[in-house]
Amino acid sequence: MGHSYQAVQWNPNKKRYDALLLVSVVLYLGVFLGVGFVWFPEATAETLLLRALGTAGFLALHVILCIGPLARLDRRWLPLLYNRRHLGVTMATLGLLHGGLALLQFHGFGDVSAFESLFTSNPRWGSLAQFPFQPLGAAALVILVLMAATSHDFWLANLTAPVWKALHMLVYVAYGLLVMHVALGALQVESSPIPLVLLGVGILTVGGLQVLAARKDRQVDGEIGVSPGSDTGWIDVCAIGEIEDGRARLVLASGERIAIFRDGDRYSALSAVCQHQNGPLGEGRIVDGLAVCPWHGFQYRPKCGRSPEPFQEVVPTFPLKIVEERLWLDPTPLPLGDESGSTSGGGIRA
Amino acid sequence: MTVPQAILGALSVYLALGVLFAIPFVLVGAGRLDPDARQGTWGFRVLIFPGATLLWPLLAKRWAMGARVPTERTPHKEALRRSERAER
Repeated sequence: MGHSYQAVQWNPNKKRYDALLLVSVVLYLGVFLGVGFVWFPEATAETLLLRALGTAGFLALHVILCIGPLARLDRRWLPLLYNRRHLGVTMATLGLLHGGLALLQFHGFGDVSAFESLFTSNPRWGSLAQFPFQPLGAAALVILVLMAATSHDFWLANLTAPVWKALHMLVYVAYGLLVMHVALGALQVESSPIPLVLLGVGILTVGGLQVLAARKDRQVDGEIGVSPGSDTGWIDVCAIGEIEDGRARLVLASGERIAIFRDGDRYSALSAVCQHQNGPLGEGRIVDGLAVCPWHGFQYRPKCGRSPEPFQEVVPTFPLKIVEERLWLDPTPLPLGDESGSTSGGGIRA
Repeated sequence: MTVPQAILGALSVYLALGVLFAIPFVLVGAGRLDPDARQGTWGFRVLIFPGATLLWPLLAKRWAMGARVPTERTPHKEALRRSERAER
């Protein structure tokens, strides 16, 4: 990063995002409780609160899982991605409140400890209708809390983005556990088909968007794919001028995407993987002479791959040359921070 | 002692050790590993406390070894390492 860590680096966008998030959660809980008291007068306040917190958290998890693929499919969803970590921490908090209340209500006043009771009070593992669904929720909660606890940029820097990302991919395991928690728990005592339909719509939406986004990624990789010799030797990328000004052309080489940015008549090749969360830097644009990642606005100087001071992120750069009005790329990375790779349309000729 | 009791007991010990480790870590250790954490705000230290409690064996090892912020392993950074090794 290159500057002292704060709890949150607030800016107007984050404040708006969090305010909207807070209002949405309060509104959801209020409406759920209000409607619940009217429609289910026999339900206790604790049960309604338990369900309000659980469904709010589960709904938030669906939104979280949809934001990523939606942003991959259509850039207009990117603003939702910008502060997704706060949504994740909010979701984990709702889950913790739901789990804590359930632990207290169902296991808090027995002869054995609440945690022991959680895992031993229902031994009917072979029964579908009476399956011990609560441990499934507890396991999911452990994953979600681990993710929330490691959501700060300190962890991103000190675990490194690939490890951090792998850790946070556990969200899909948590989602699977929660689907089973709901299906084997609340749905077993539900007489109305509406919750089952809602769960099905949720699973299909999350799964469908993930498939569509993966298909688009494969399509992009297919379009930019180059010959097997792409890890060594110069690659003919395209004619100069074919790249839209301020944007990048992607090339798949040396095991990852390389982004060739055009800024006026200057071309620079950067590793297309943002050092922050490994975002898709190659889908960003040049703003004020800097390549900006579309996910969280991390900036890199196209010539050397370094972030402007005081930040210390750096991505590899690659040599470029222009031969007979065509752009050629050497996929062997230059030493970090090296400025010799970029070229201009009116400059270097091989 | 039953199996669930043994597992819960082990988890309790792990988390208790984590809390004991996390206190000096957020005050001193984080700054040793990452220079950006030296002047970190109190809010930042509170926020990394749960993570330090959960990941304490990893952090304790890195703190004891005097490790600094690691370099990420992406295909391009690995390719750079390989080409630098080949040049030496």
